[in-house]
Amino acid sequence: MAVKMTRRRFLQSTGCAAAVLPFANLVQADDSFVKYPYVSPGSMAGTQTVTGGICEMCFWRCQVIGKVRDGKLVKLEGNPKSIDNGKSLCARGNAGIKLLYDPDRLKYPLKNIGKRGAPKWKRISWDEALDECATRLKATIDKYGPQGITIFPHGSSAVYPMHFFEHVVGTPNNSEASFFQCRGARDLAYLATLGVPAGEEVDMPNAKVIFLLGSHLGENVHVSHLKRYLKGLENGAKLIVVDPRFSAAAAKADVWVKIKPGTDTAFLLAIMNYLAENEKYNVEYVDDNGDGFDDFCEGIAHASLSWAAKICDVPEAQIKQVADMLSADMPHVAIHPGRHTSWYGNDFQRERAMACLTGMLGAIGSVGGFVRPIGPKLGRFSWPTPMKEHAEEYSLRRLAKVHKFSPPGTPTDLIRNAALTGQPYPIKAMVTWGQNPIQTVPNQAQTIAMLEQMDFVLVCDVMPTDITMYADILLPEVSYLERYDYIKRGTQWDFAEEHQQYIAARMPLVAPETKDHERKDSVWITNELAKRMGYGEHIKAKSAEEMVDIMLAGAKPTLSLKQLRAEDGIHLQEGEDPYDVELDVVFYSEALEEAGYPPVPTYTEVPQPPAGYARLVYGRLPVHTFNRTQNNVWLHQESTLNPVWLNEQSAKKMGLKDGDMVELVNDQGVKSRTATVVKVTPGIRSDTVYMAHGYGSMNPALTVGVGAGVDDQSLISNPSIDPETGTHGMRNNFVRFIKDGKELSIPA
Amino acid sequence: MAMEKPVGNACTRLAEILCFLAAAMEYPQRSWLTPAYWAALEGLLHEIGSISAEAMFPSYPASPEQFEGLQVEYTRLFINAVPHVIAPPYGSVYLDGDGMLYGASAERAKAFYRQENFELRGSHDIPDYLGNELRFVALLLEQGREAAAELFLRQCFRPWFGSFYQRVSRESRHPYYVVLVSLIDFFTEEEEDHGS
Ligand code: SF4
Repeated sequence: MAVKMTRRRFLQSTGCAAAVLPFANLVQADDSFVKYPYVSPGSMAGTQTVTGGICEMCFWRCQVIGKVRDGKLVKLEGNPKSIDNGKSLCARGNAGIKLLYDPDRLKYPLKNIGKRGAPKWKRISWDEALDECATRLKATIDKYGPQGITIFPHGSSAVYPMHFFEHVVGTPNNSEASFFQCRGARDLAYLATLGVPAGEEVDMPNAKVIFLLGSHLGENVHVSHLKRYLKGLENGAKLIVVDPRFSAAAAKADVWVKIKPGTDTAFLLAIMNYLAENEKYNVEYVDDNGDGFDDFCEGIAHASLSWAAKICDVPEAQIKQVADMLSADMPHVAIHPGRHTSWYGNDFQRERAMACLTGMLGAIGSVGGFVRPIGPKLGRFSWPTPMKEHAEEYSLRRLAKVHKFSPPGTPTDLIRNAALTGQPYPIKAMVTWGQNPIQTVPNQAQTIAMLEQMDFVLVCDVMPTDITMYADILLPEVSYLERYDYIKRGTQWDFAEEHQQYIAARMPLVAPETKDHERKDSVWITNELAKRMGYGEHIKAKSAEEMVDIMLAGAKPTLSLKQLRAEDGIHLQEGEDPYDVELDVVFYSEALEEAGYPPVPTYTEVPQPPAGYARLVYGRLPVHTFNRTQNNVWLHQESTLNPVWLNEQSAKKMGLKDGDMVELVNDQGVKSRTATVVKVTPGIRSDTVYMAHGYGSMNPALTVGVGAGVDDQSLISNPSIDPETGTHGMRNNFVRFIKDGKELSIPA
Repeated sequence: MAMEKPVGNACTRLAEILCFLAAAMEYPQRSWLTPAYWAALEGLLHEIGSISAEAMFPSYPASPEQFEGLQVEYTRLFINAVPHVIAPPYGSVYLDGDGMLYGASAERAKAFYRQENFELRGSHDIPDYLGNELRFVALLLEQGREAAAELFLRQCFRPWFGSFYQRVSRESRHPYYVVLVSLIDFFTEEEEDHGS
């Protein structure tokens, strides 16, 4: 702008017509500022400690306190009263402040007046937004029935709306993909075998042997989880790590089994068969608690050490060594059930085998074994279930007679297929709450096609993730540092210590209200929607605070938020001894047999890489929670790229050296959009390459994460579906490299 | 030749104009963004004599589509866009290294407010928000504290406003906001003929 006049001259010029323009009359009175009494420097209020926070940079839910200085949260720390994470937080937990003050956070309800995928957003009021959501969701229900709505929830704040849509509205089409894909197959397999979900609470601190199959603790960080693991190592536990890669855990292992990917179940079967044949299992425990053990032994009798050695590409002697180590120290053996367990589409069977092995060793309720800690009791809170039968009737899983051991909810595939084909019924409205299905569910093209055929898409989130681009109405939620929320409870992390229980409800560390946004919590939003949709009578709690108080009132002795606050955010009470509990072990499952699945853990071969390709496996880094944190500058600085691990012999043959930049292309011709560096290492099999997940975002405006590393998700174009559970196995994708425009085969 | 008016009047005028521009940088609503408001802006441009800005200045968005276009652009520039809002109107996003709200420059602004016996009403409001800083300068000017106003502009506002101004000028798809930030620039820039 070429300005000829100076400000001073302009203002002083009476000849200036503008000088008589009534600016003041055009502006509404503003009261942003108030008088502030003079306070001498140095006498300002100091830093205040606010208790009651619960971290949500990942879902471990460490208990935190905030240091607040003059209205601003300046630091997060572990709550010193915590008997879980204690004073410690991980890097991500510390970086929560970056999320709180991220200028990109959603601020107001927005309406998309452009197209889905290419949004044009305008700000609207909450009333307008809620009215429109309610009208359009109601229209879907009227036309297609409640099953015409699907919800994609994630995280604790999504539980309340998820239950509203499932129980009150009556749609079975709930795709809680993160739980479903991460731990669903595992928990269902343990339920089918031991009658309880797996969890992660194995007694590693007191184990004599820790057995990790594909778990890379240390790269996967949860504070109290790691404390357990490290204490176990410190106490002298032997560590067995089964992994095609020399992971952080493998680096600490006494035995590293460099297994061929996809063959883990064969490995486990051979161990169990060897233990059975040589009577090296816990005969007493199995006699007392085993169900169908003889049939089981018969069913796995083919699994000799040499059979597995060939399949797994592992020396026979090493399988025997592992089996003997487990047997020698049983029942003090911590077999970790794993966390992200959907790998190859044969995962339920592998997890069944893990649970059976745990049972064979009698490592249940034993010191160092699979222990079920006894947590404190709380009151229940949930929506009523007037539409339960309707939801069951329209369950896609039930109608298709598939995935009979599926985790709660409906497999994403079934929802997506129904939406795309209209069969067995149309799905025309989608509610996404804290989940980003564009990046978390394989096959982006189909997910986008599903979104495009919807009559209405509602997204509620904290940050503008990829899915928000597809919203018709986008609602801003407060962050975990600004809201009341579900309760975290548990016991001291080391079961051998004094038995204690804790109850900690999430409470805000900073107030959510400021003049420059209108964020709300999920209880308020859901209630307002419920009222407008005609379900107001079912509302049980008027606010998140009230919901938490109802749950706390059911504790014994009864508790309240007020009391929790007075107790620095954590209530501690005497605990119970978790040891000496016995669980029945279903070795041979008639329920599975009746449902048409193998009654005995069974190894199913997985697809193998074509010549010139290697299997792509992915994992995580301690400083990231996948794409949730990819935009966090603090964390990004800690690890800017996700190097692709390549075996050093292969690298030599390919003419690649450490640090070379490569792109990746999969066997279906899908190319990575970006490049990353090669990490040349002897620590990976030659048929496998590895990278951390959650990198290489596609959006050019993403100043932090764009083009940084490679998005492995984009290369996962060939998911395998686990038959029992319907979860996606995402490691049957094969890649080779592109260097300087030339495709390079990876020698086997 | 124009006669000089007493300084007090110039201060009041500037205060009014800054309030007027601060309001213009809020989310466009018909309740306040009226044809009269628009005409006042246009008049201001005319008087300043900025031919290029005047030429760029669009006519009043009378149709619902035009008005909505302005709202959409405001949202994209200043509220939310996937995955990044274009030009967040907060100082510390531009100044303090890691692009966060409520960084050190916000603390500096807050300290300045208090030093001048003012404080934001909302205890969690972000001190170095564009509108807050402009209104604060206006408050000082209304009280005739011109030197303090100049100092605040120099120490707190101008260090980030330049980057913000450039980002809006470069990225805006609607000339209205380009013109607005140019006007803010004009009325807040440090003058070499200070005191003349
Ligand atoms: S492990 Fe880290 S990110 Fe996860 S809850 Fe604990 S502190 Fe937060």
